[in-house]
Amino acid sequence: MDVGLLAQILINGVFLGGLYAIMALGLALVWGVLNIVNLAHGAFIMLGAYLSWYLYAGLGIDPFLGLPINAVVMFMVGYALQRGLLNLVVRAPMFNTLLITFGLEVVLTYLAQLAFSADFRTINPPYAGNSIALGSLVLPQARLMAFGVAVVLTVAMWAFLLRTKLGRAIRATAQNLVAARLYGVEPRHLYATTFGIGIGLAGAAGGLYGTVSQINPYIGATLTAKCFAISIIGGLDNPLGVLLGGLVLGVIESLAVLYIGATFADVASFSVLVLVLIVRPRGLLGKAA
Amino acid sequence: MTAARIALASLAIAVLAAVPWFGSDVLVQFGINALLLAVLAQGWNIIGGYAGYASFGNSVFYGLGSYGVAITMVQWELPFAFGLAFGVLMAVIFAFLLGLPVLRLKGHYFAIATLALAQVMIAIVSNVPLAGQNIGLVLPPLNNDPLFYELALGLLTAVTLTIFWLTRSRFGFGLIAIRENEEGAAVMGVNTTLYKVLAFALSGVFSALAGGIHAYWITFLDPESAFDISLNVKMIIMAVFGGPGTILGPVIGALTLSAVSELLSSEVTSVAGLFFGIVVVAAVVLMPRGLADIVRRFRKSGWRYFAENIKAHRI
Repeated sequence: MDVGLLAQILINGVFLGGLYAIMALGLALVWGVLNIVNLAHGAFIMLGAYLSWYLYAGLGIDPFLGLPINAVVMFMVGYALQRGLLNLVVRAPMFNTLLITFGLEVVLTYLAQLAFSADFRTINPPYAGNSIALGSLVLPQARLMAFGVAVVLTVAMWAFLLRTKLGRAIRATAQNLVAARLYGVEPRHLYATTFGIGIGLAGAAGGLYGTVSQINPYIGATLTAKCFAISIIGGLDNPLGVLLGGLVLGVIESLAVLYIGATFADVASFSVLVLVLIVRPRGLLGKAA
Repeated sequence: MTAARIALASLAIAVLAAVPWFGSDVLVQFGINALLLAVLAQGWNIIGGYAGYASFGNSVFYGLGSYGVAITMVQWELPFAFGLAFGVLMAVIFAFLLGLPVLRLKGHYFAIATLALAQVMIAIVSNVPLAGQNIGLVLPPLNNDPLFYELALGLLTAVTLTIFWLTRSRFGFGLIAIRENEEGAAVMGVNTTLYKVLAFALSGVFSALAGGIHAYWITFLDPESAFDISLNVKMIIMAVFGGPGTILGPVIGALTLSAVSELLSSEVTSVAGLFFGIVVVAAVVLMPRGLADIVRRFRKSGWRYFAENIKAHRI
């Protein structure tokens, strides 16, 4: 086996995995705190990708510099949606919250198709084709930058949840809503803020995704499925677990493409998912139940 | 069940069975689709509505049933009935082999594990030469829509009678006990593992039969359409829209939603998808327990019914 090729595949997998991690982070946060599995998460990633595309193609804002704008806009969308709609059903049985987010996914995908047409698009900054050579390895610049941003955001999320007052309130609510309320947490606002952060992360992830991959209105469903897999593999307790989950999935997919064939990439990742679910249902880094 | 109810049910079945004689071809074709969807919704009702396990793997049973018929008829050149039997056999084996580990999981985790299984099946079947790989299989055509219609209606009657039996049998009460409190059920002496796997398999048998009938009717299948996950989402929506854990709710939900989406797609094609999404969102907010619950409680509460639902689930 060619060691150089293997190293290159691993690098590709790690870069892909970083991007996966940032995609899944918002889903895991919302799931862990609100107990809503947001089936529309991938659709929000798709919307974020289009937002970055328009910022770049329309206003000439670099996709990486535009990420904060993207995240803020998407945060507001998420906040409004949770406050106005999802807070109404947040205590309903699990089927119902799954269904309502599925309904949202259908609506968002349809509206996106109407607004953006079904064409494939890519965010193409001038450095898109550049790459850095490291010995025999090739590091595509855009992927490297996307990976860097993803890791920084994930670590920042971890610090935010652990160190800030708001982060602590979010974690407290995830653990015990009644107790959190007694300590002065206003759940409607907090739920909306958490969902907003989740959607803001989805928006940023979409912006990054658009710079390394093609986008169209239908990418959402597959991305949601991947985000699920990553959240499960990594566990919901900890952003660093999600980062690990993303890296595991990215590397497994890259290796599966090389050794078993491209059509089996999804089999490999979902088999790992089922195995993790059965052996360690709380994730690789998760605490025991 | 009173004599009046039996008479009413028989009359409804008789009217539905007579559709091919007075209805148009389009109506019969719509009927086959709607009835098969109703079978799927009822099949899901057994595991999701009664046992309380939100399965996203029922489309796997459907796909196995489709491929059972296709492989038997195309590759082995055996009659349709053998194909149905083969599909059912595969579904039951799948339910036991994968049901055992997966049914240990609860809530979202179960839902997602089954979702993953469905994804894996697409990829596996795409690589099996016997199943035509990712190109699929073409079945010998049989242009006899009334026959398919009556088969679908017969299957729907069978699954509905099975569910009627569930509501009156020890097995059914065991499932409801598992849904309400699994530990409690185990303490009361319900063999929860066996009951869950049996419910999964029973649900799979009917889904596989529906898949088999659909495959022979459509005469073509490929992995993407046979194991389509959105079909699974559709059956859940139809069951929940009608009322999960009730005898007739999923049938009513499936027929209503099929009719609405058919009307919309013939009148205004482009907004059908959007409307479907909005109906789902509105239904979850306003009538989370389905049509069956509205019928029961609307008389007492009137329009306040909807406000009461929101009040019960908002934060």
